[in-house]
Amino acid sequence: MAGSRRHPTVRLLCPKKSLLSPPSPSLRWLVGSPRFLPPLTVAAALRCLPGGADASSSSPDLQREADEIRGLLVRGFDVVGALHVGRSAEFGADARGALELARALRERLSGERASHGMVGGCVDAGTGEIQFLVSEGDGLEAVEAAGVVWEDEPGRLLWEKGCLLRCELPLKLPLYASSDDMSGIEARFFSLIESTVSKLRDPHVSYLIEGPLATRDESHYSVILHGNDLDSVSNLTHNESAEVYSANIVSCSKFFPAKRFNLSLTGENADAIQITILSNQSFNNSKANIPVVEYFPAPALASLRLINLKLDILCYSSVDLPVAAAVSELVIPGLADQLNVMKKAIVSELTTQQPQLCPYHFVPPGLFIPVTAIYDTRYGEIEEKQSELRRNLHLRLQLPLDRPLLRISNALKFSIGGTDKKASRNSSSLLRDVHREIPSSGVSGGIMSLIDGSYEYYHYLHDGIDDNGWGCAYRSLQTIVSWYKLQQYSSINVPSHREIQQVLVEIGDKDSSFIGSREWIGAIELSFVLDKLLGASCKIINVRSGDELPEKCRELAIHFETQGTPVMIGGGVLAYTLLGVDYNETSGDCAFLILDPHYTGSDDLKKIVNGGWCGWKKSVDSKGCSFFLKDKFYNLLLPQRPNMV
Amino acid sequence: MGMGVKAVVGDEAQLKALENTLSSSAPPAQVGLVVGKLSPSSDRALAYSLIPTPPTDAGDPPCSLQPKPKPKPKPADSTSSLDFDVDWVAEHARQVSRMLLGGMSVIGIYIWASEASFKATSPAVLSQVVRAVSQVVPLYDSAVDERLLIHISYSPRRSACRICDMSSGSLRPCDFKYSKLLASLQTFRCTYNFEIRVPVVQAEPFKKVVSKAISNLTKEVQNAKALIDGILFSDAMDNTLEGPHNVEFLVPFKNNLPAEECSLEGVSGLLLFAGSVSALAYLGPKESVSEAISDLKLDIITSLRSRLDIILDEADGESTTDNLENSLSQKAAQVVFHELRAPYSFPFPRRILIPWLAGSYVCDYLQQSETTEDAMERCREVMSLEADMGNYSIVEPESASCTTLGSFWDVVPGALSKAPSEPGRKEIQSAENGLRRTHGSSFSILAALVALLIALLVGYIFTFSAILKT
Repeated sequence: MAGSRRHPTVRLLCPKKSLLSPPSPSLRWLVGSPRFLPPLTVAAALRCLPGGADASSSSPDLQREADEIRGLLVRGFDVVGALHVGRSAEFGADARGALELARALRERLSGERASHGMVGGCVDAGTGEIQFLVSEGDGLEAVEAAGVVWEDEPGRLLWEKGCLLRCELPLKLPLYASSDDMSGIEARFFSLIESTVSKLRDPHVSYLIEGPLATRDESHYSVILHGNDLDSVSNLTHNESAEVYSANIVSCSKFFPAKRFNLSLTGENADAIQITILSNQSFNNSKANIPVVEYFPAPALASLRLINLKLDILCYSSVDLPVAAAVSELVIPGLADQLNVMKKAIVSELTTQQPQLCPYHFVPPGLFIPVTAIYDTRYGEIEEKQSELRRNLHLRLQLPLDRPLLRISNALKFSIGGTDKKASRNSSSLLRDVHREIPSSGVSGGIMSLIDGSYEYYHYLHDGIDDNGWGCAYRSLQTIVSWYKLQQYSSINVPSHREIQQVLVEIGDKDSSFIGSREWIGAIELSFVLDKLLGASCKIINVRSGDELPEKCRELAIHFETQGTPVMIGGGVLAYTLLGVDYNETSGDCAFLILDPHYTGSDDLKKIVNGGWCGWKKSVDSKGCSFFLKDKFYNLLLPQRPNMV
Repeated sequence: MGMGVKAVVGDEAQLKALENTLSSSAPPAQVGLVVGKLSPSSDRALAYSLIPTPPTDAGDPPCSLQPKPKPKPKPADSTSSLDFDVDWVAEHARQVSRMLLGGMSVIGIYIWASEASFKATSPAVLSQVVRAVSQVVPLYDSAVDERLLIHISYSPRRSACRICDMSSGSLRPCDFKYSKLLASLQTFRCTYNFEIRVPVVQAEPFKKVVSKAISNLTKEVQNAKALIDGILFSDAMDNTLEGPHNVEFLVPFKNNLPAEECSLEGVSGLLLFAGSVSALAYLGPKESVSEAISDLKLDIITSLRSRLDIILDEADGESTTDNLENSLSQKAAQVVFHELRAPYSFPFPRRILIPWLAGSYVCDYLQQSETTEDAMERCREVMSLEADMGNYSIVEPESASCTTLGSFWDVVPGALSKAPSEPGRKEIQSAENGLRRTHGSSFSILAALVALLIALLVGYIFTFSAILKT
């Protein structure tokens, strides 16, 4: 290594933990934004997936990686390096190998060798020791990085000077083919896509650019750019001199309110500059030709297919970039990229039923930058191919494989035109997560294990059904189903009492007279219904006496840590929903977080918490009363988290 | 909305001038059209000009005093009621409406008659005339279906306006006042370039396919965003801008196929309907800019519809075989695209703008062999326009058209082009024939001849004397 050269520092925005799990030997592509972030900054890491059928080969399938990453990354972000994870025998060779692979991938992605600095790294999965090689410019020479900085506030670095642009472009492309000779259809399709891409820069194309609606009193700012404006700005940006910009060249920052409050990107409400592509029908005003009707007979009968494409892209840009440059250098190339990704997905099915491709944008937990996934909505989300696609994405983004995080309902919501999206999303008005602000359990030195995720609180008298005295288990079941629904495992509606009874009759557990009755159900019936409606399996724990319940605390704690689902407590007496346990293993002291379905009041959080309808219950309280009865048996129903994404 | 017209404002200069002319020439009765604006967003109707309906082909006046019924002799002469040639007035309305630009329509009729004979005429007869006019010139996007009936009485001399409700046929009086309108009109103009492709599957006649193309275009135009002098139009835009405005229309990129269009088998050819429309719309004082935008959009579509009507009218008309223009239109109208084996091209008539009142224009359409003289002649007859145009001259915004060269596979979108450029274009030979068309519709020829007769009968009527002078 040339000691005389300055040794650069690599800055990492992604947490170290995300780079190390799983610790099995693997490769991570490092993503940064050489144009808008400081050099050698890594914003995210994407896992390189093992190469398809040929899993034995250790070298990645670069073509496949490039194809998938092209669709995934938003324009403005690029692959800036690679990291080898594993037990490293030789740091230098592994890091150099990673660097070479990163360069090769980068070249496939953009069609040219990177002109910016690239990093190659190596991390020891055991010790967590991490080192980088850095190559500048042509990449022939690589120097060891002087150090690694883990950024504390990745959101601030990314979004203080950065912003998102979004462009939705629905296309309906007419594809003609000769009816008796379908062989030429592919070539025609490719040429149709190509001509569409090139038309995006026609002089008669206009771009409507609108800022997000930030606050109620601030109207959003909008600008129209014309095809000709793009060229002039592109030339200017390479000039690097800020003074050259004329007054009419607006930078992206102009579209946002002076003070941006929300610097972290959340799924509920993302701010983006909206770009709409329009065609100016009045372009070239001076030349008007008389309308002419022309007819062109086809030499032989032809067929027409309409190719429906819904393009939807995000771009990441510095707020200082002139918006015309952002359109020209990010948005249009981004649209071309997505069009080509879709082209590949469609071409094999041109003559059959077309896929209905829909792009969605996500910022899954652990990631600070948005990614785009293109789903085929033809057969719904549950379809096998779509599940497989999501599984792969989970792997690549290092997300858990038993939590749906990339479902359509997880996608980023953009605030457009002041429409209140919140209201329409939460169609249900029921209270959620009522345990959030309850007083502590009073177990000293205990470890709390709680459910993972949101649920809705169902209790007596909801939906105008008078189930006082018999419906508590039904209500507990409804709360459990709501958890599955809110966690995106299912899209079914929470079943009513009658629907629950119908299921039990359908599966032969009950006679048809059961429907409409006021008969109780228990843990076993709940497990049947969960299996039938959600395909969810359950574990059941039996105790002969309420006294034995504290003994089950360890098992319940494990349940909440690994499964995180609400538990139903049934048995000889009343049914409850259990949301967590607080357990001191040494002293044996414990408390149960109970959500009580017997509440008959209004959905008033204060009343519910103060009345103890949701709260910690010790098996024996300070007055010596037992919560669980000694002379009654109890069945605990532990629904299992589905192993799906 | 749903409010009816409450007040009518007439252009002072125009209406007063016509009243003066009428009282000096003093015909016993006259009927004509009210050109103006009924805006859906306002309860105020604007009457820009009154245009007398010329005599019929046979030389009869379209409005006359009914001969007194013999069995019931009555002493007073003045009680004879009015009699109308309803079809003729309606035909006049159709022709006038074709010549009006955006923001102006035929919004009713006026009647010059004595108070007594007006009163002697049954309201049913009056509303029948108004209804006949409204049926040939339907007003688009108007929630209220009402028209005006202006009565200019000569004894005693005064003007009054009634509102005629088209659904009930009832007449109700309303406020009528004069103001300066035409001189304060704002002009909005644009060129709209379009390219509509319609795949032809079945044996479909010319009219059907071209109408389909126009209705496809209608959807595109109606949803277009507008730039006014380069600024994106929004509802917040105020109406205090000065001068004529240039409007540009923006439509979604490459998404202009109609929604119902789906995949098709057995496509026998492609109809390409392409070109430009030079459109114009006028905005009255105190009206909103959004009104002007929708009128401009409407002008684009009505201009194309009118041109198609002209082609079809000519083909329908009892044509003389030696008239080449007619036979060309006839041929076009009879084309069944499905059966064609060679590329086919037919240019639409060309729009020209003819100076009208107070710096405003009306329009006409020229077939290939016609000249602006033909248009001027039609204008004189239909609009009773004088030859003197002052400082203004005829504007010819649409130029000789180009036609596409190539075959079906060259013109379908995303054609595998051998050359990277667009398909070649060549100028159409506009003077394909040496024949001159002598007249437009049957309406206009006879009108010219009959004008003389009327003039002699009724004395010197200012409007028709203009024709004699030429």
